[in-house]
Amino acid sequence: MRLEMRTCFGAALFLGIVCTIYWFWSNEDTGTACLLFSFCAYALMGSYFFLQWKRRKGVPRPEDRDDADMNDGEGEIGYFPAASIWPFGIGLGGIFLAVGLIYGMWYLLIGGVFVVGSIIGFVVEAEAREEGPADPGMPITATGDNPPLTSFQVPSSHSQGA
Amino acid sequence: MTLIQERPGGPGEPGATGLVAEPLTEIVPGPRPRGVVKFVTSTDHKQIGLNYLVTSFIGFLAAGIMAEVMRTQLIGPNNHLVGPASYNQLVTMHGTVMLFVFGGPFAFGLANYILPLQIGAPDMAFPRFNNLSYWLYLGGFLVMMAGFLTNDGAADFGWFGYAPLTEAIHSPGPGADMWILGIALTGFSGIFTAVNVITTTFTLRAPGMVMFRMPIFVWNELVTLFLVLLAFPVLTAAMALLWCDRHLGTSFYDPAGGGQPILWQNLFWFFGHPEVYILALPYFGVVTEVFATMSKKPVFGYKGMIAATLTIGGLSMGVWAHHMYTTGAVLLPFFAAMTVLIAVPTGIKFFNWIGTMWQGVLTLNTAMLFSLGFLVIFLCGGITGVMLAQPPLDFQLHMTYFVVAHFHYVLVGTTAFGAFASIYYWFPKYTGRLLDEKLGKISFALMFIGTNLTYFPMHDLGLRGMPRRVFTYPVNAGWTFLNELATIGAYILGIGVLFTVINIFHSMRRGQIAGDNPWDGQTLEWATSSPPPEHNFEILPPIRSERPLWDANHPDQLTEVGH
Repeated sequence: MRLEMRTCFGAALFLGIVCTIYWFWSNEDTGTACLLFSFCAYALMGSYFFLQWKRRKGVPRPEDRDDADMNDGEGEIGYFPAASIWPFGIGLGGIFLAVGLIYGMWYLLIGGVFVVGSIIGFVVEAEAREEGPADPGMPITATGDNPPLTSFQVPSSHSQGA
Repeated sequence: MTLIQERPGGPGEPGATGLVAEPLTEIVPGPRPRGVVKFVTSTDHKQIGLNYLVTSFIGFLAAGIMAEVMRTQLIGPNNHLVGPASYNQLVTMHGTVMLFVFGGPFAFGLANYILPLQIGAPDMAFPRFNNLSYWLYLGGFLVMMAGFLTNDGAADFGWFGYAPLTEAIHSPGPGADMWILGIALTGFSGIFTAVNVITTTFTLRAPGMVMFRMPIFVWNELVTLFLVLLAFPVLTAAMALLWCDRHLGTSFYDPAGGGQPILWQNLFWFFGHPEVYILALPYFGVVTEVFATMSKKPVFGYKGMIAATLTIGGLSMGVWAHHMYTTGAVLLPFFAAMTVLIAVPTGIKFFNWIGTMWQGVLTLNTAMLFSLGFLVIFLCGGITGVMLAQPPLDFQLHMTYFVVAHFHYVLVGTTAFGAFASIYYWFPKYTGRLLDEKLGKISFALMFIGTNLTYFPMHDLGLRGMPRRVFTYPVNAGWTFLNELATIGAYILGIGVLFTVINIFHSMRRGQIAGDNPWDGQTLEWATSSPPPEHNFEILPPIRSERPLWDANHPDQLTEVGH
């Protein structure tokens, strides 16, 4: 978490410095505006990680600890539906919108229906999992029990402590 | 190779069992879609990654055919194979397709397929969003290519579409609009992919996979998508303004209504130069993996490599106007200095690549040959890049074939050779079968010779004053012989590419069975089966260095930590 935060703040800092130098040296608006927004983008991302880090009170996640065990990652990882038709609907609508912006209103209407309808389907699909029967492939949960190792020979000097 | 002295939880600590594995994931059983339905609906990062890779390779072949037609047109003076109008369309769409359909998205495909495997993740962070990016990308590809089907043909103002040439009065046909909207769609796709990959890298790593244990390829993809996140929104905004100019009567870029053509150039190149690194950095990552694996050594200067990648990424945000020196409206010393500075981290990378191979046990297979070809060709392109960064030289050479030679050395060297190296390196992971080495080596030899024969004469053509994008040239200009050489080289290059295409079709069904780990790989993608199962891993080795699989398979040669 801290390294992610530093990476983003580092990028923001660099872009901020370049933006300042560029502004005072060139007085050119377009590039300055672009650099300013680049700075804001990374400052925003860094701030998010800062808040997360604060919220966790500095306790690192398993992927931030260099001695973490696979069992430390136990728990639900997230919602990963096995298949969904709605992204295709949004994409198809996107093409219709694009053609509509060139050739006219009717395509825009068709595209709009596709996009809005698919977005509704997309959102409802994620909410439905709370009640309905389990959809194949979701949610993914990391199990906590260690199966015996078969394919890797790991020496004791190489494993981690408890 | 030295052993590690100290690592957290070393021997003797209580609880060291010697058996560590997995996050085995629980998957709810159920029917899975197959065939076309799978292609359309799948949210599996591997399926989407393959979709990206195949589609972008088709784009590469399409744009390659356009290039062959252009080279055939230029084989002799006053040739009339294609007219000026068709030539302009070809030159525009060749550039657009190579950049927006092949170069970037091929790297997105690799990021989709390989990156979650390398960090031990079960999937991308937003699988459905990932699928959406693919459809927007495919839609963009189809929309921009559909320009060829219109009466007036496709866009014909060059791939960077300078205003006011793109305004409705100069380019009235719908082909130009299709170009604008096609690029906007691929732009959205790129932004979504960036969000997805960055989130995946930051939040879905396996326990113990700290940032400084991620493979270099993951770092490079991460920095690439950092750049995408900054560059593509600017491009999409610029395209939106251009559309407004053409259809709603605004005049952002039209001087007749008080607009500024230079605004377009600034916006476009603010996207356009990071784009060059978006096309290059992922392939830097690919060859780093290939060098390390095929030399049976860890990456030399691991942290230096990451620092170099981050520095290149940072500096590339401040060099856009070196494409605009001759406009007279840019701050020359700032951009020249920033551009030359980029040579420093790039040089560090070269030293680290050589250091990785130094005293290694080299396997000179096709993937390695393509990576070595990458090194040579990209070096030439990099050197001419430093030359062109000098304003006095650039004023002489701007818009000549020297520039064409420069950026083709850079892009063929990195994107094409890197992509081919990745095909030969990871094909066993995608299909479970090895590509044929003999066909691969013939393909490499032809491509290497062809590339140099095509693009090297262009340096001289540029120095002799041949401008870019001319559809023909006079007899007495003294450019005929060099153009003949370049065209012959382009044919050889094309035949070389064909050998790999044949190889792919041949090896998909009849290739040698690869097994899970054909190269004695070091990173986690080789720890799972080929092709990987749903949600990727049955078992994971403990992650204690940047090459966990090597440590697990070679306990006597553990990776030294903190080098």
